Amino acid sequence: MRHAYVFGFIAGALLAAGAGVSAHHSFAAEFDANKPIQLRGTVVRVEWINPHTWIHIDVKEADGRTERWMIEGGTPNTLLRRGLTRNSLPEGTEIMVDGYRAKNGTNRANGRDLTFTDGRKLFMGSSGTGAPRDGRDASER
Amino acid sequence: MKTRFLAFSIALVAFMPLSAFAQSSAATPAAGDRAAARKWTAPRTPWGEPDLQGTYSNRTITPFERPANVGGREFFTPDEVAALEKRAQEQSGDEGRAKGTRGDVERAYNDFWWDRGTKVTSLRTSLVVDPPDGRVPALTEEAKLRAADEGKRPAFRGAGASGRGTDSWLDRSTFERCITRGMPGAMSPTAYNNNYRITQSPGFVAIQIEMLGGTRVIPTDGRPHINKSIRQWMGNSVARWEGDTLVVETTNFTDKVLYRGAAENLHLVERFTRVAPGQIDYRVTITDPTTFTKPWTLAIPYVDTGEDMFEYACHEGNYGMEGILSGAREEERATAEKGK
Repeated sequence: MRHAYVFGFIAGALLAAGAGVSAHHSFAAEFDANKPIQLRGTVVRVEWINPHTWIHIDVKEADGRTERWMIEGGTPNTLLRRGLTRNSLPEGTEIMVDGYRAKNGTNRANGRDLTFTDGRKLFMGSSGTGAPRDGRDASER
Repeated sequence: MKTRFLAFSIALVAFMPLSAFAQSSAATPAAGDRAAARKWTAPRTPWGEPDLQGTYSNRTITPFERPANVGGREFFTPDEVAALEKRAQEQSGDEGRAKGTRGDVERAYNDFWWDRGTKVTSLRTSLVVDPPDGRVPALTEEAKLRAADEGKRPAFRGAGASGRGTDSWLDRSTFERCITRGMPGAMSPTAYNNNYRITQSPGFVAIQIEMLGGTRVIPTDGRPHINKSIRQWMGNSVARWEGDTLVVETTNFTDKVLYRGAAENLHLVERFTRVAPGQIDYRVTITDPTTFTKPWTLAIPYVDTGEDMFEYACHEGNYGMEGILSGAREEERATAEKGK
């Protein structure tokens, strides 16, 4: 009974919480909900810039051509604060991107989920960094 | 499970006295806490003013307004706090995220980029502490009429991550344009970069704001506000010391950015009090008779993090603005093509 009460309470309180879920700009205005995309590529460079980090990757197409893609992430400030640096994602690292393609049709997408090819998350916060767990990393299951 | 709950309880006990003390006007701390509070005196600068200096974060999971389901209570119970904080720590980026929806796209990226906090930081059920119902007062009729006319303005005045359209960058918010989150928006918590550095010198207090950058340099030497004809994005602030509290009054706001419907007629009174070695009790009273039916007050704990501040050079890398506008053009082109 008490559990039920607390559960209902949390749901209500979180709905009311103003701790916005939004980033610096509207992602729904920039990326297309109707164009989910999965990419596998190697890191060419990372722009650790504000307001949003951009990860550039080379993606091998089925016909052997290589396409350059830009993946939008969040502020680098949070990552710096958690001990990650520009060396944390070196050139040549192979990563998987699950996101949405840009509305403007260019090779851009948001990094809804960024993982290594073995399924581990990129930039997973280590213990004590304050990074929330999201259950997607193998070590969290 | 039981062990976890016990650990949580211990953590709570460790953190409660601090919060209870910070909220001393309404909480009733145990006798021991009151004695401890009396023993602690706020530090002073070498020139004798209260010393507020440090780097603070105001991230919190405390709701902005009081949720309907707490029965009007001013404070959470320890059980509720434990449940909220446990939920925040284990928050899943996938909660309620249905793929292919606007909400999912707006959530943007993995949770490790966010820093909303995992603590309520005070036991209060809302950041709004006045009026006593913990809710922002109703807008005036005048403010509702103004809101209906917002579309006619030369530029969108909202300060969130949104816009009124995509014809021009002027249709996007002052936040997306890398200008400002407005006041007191810039002093309120958001989803990340909730960091502030306070430094003092005789006659001045400076508050460096991480999100969007910028520093408020506030004189404490008794000078008056600048001429009313001069209007600024962050207004004009002057301050004085009242006991251990820094009292900052801000007026002279521009009409180009909104805070919950208010703009150039805003009058803010902020109060900064160091209530524990690592905590400032920040309060801001918001008055604008042309917008709100009565003044209202927010109380937000600023907690010393010992962390560094990082630059937030917003404009140079704001590819998102280009993406939003060019995305809209592409959609228009595609629609026109279909119509042919």
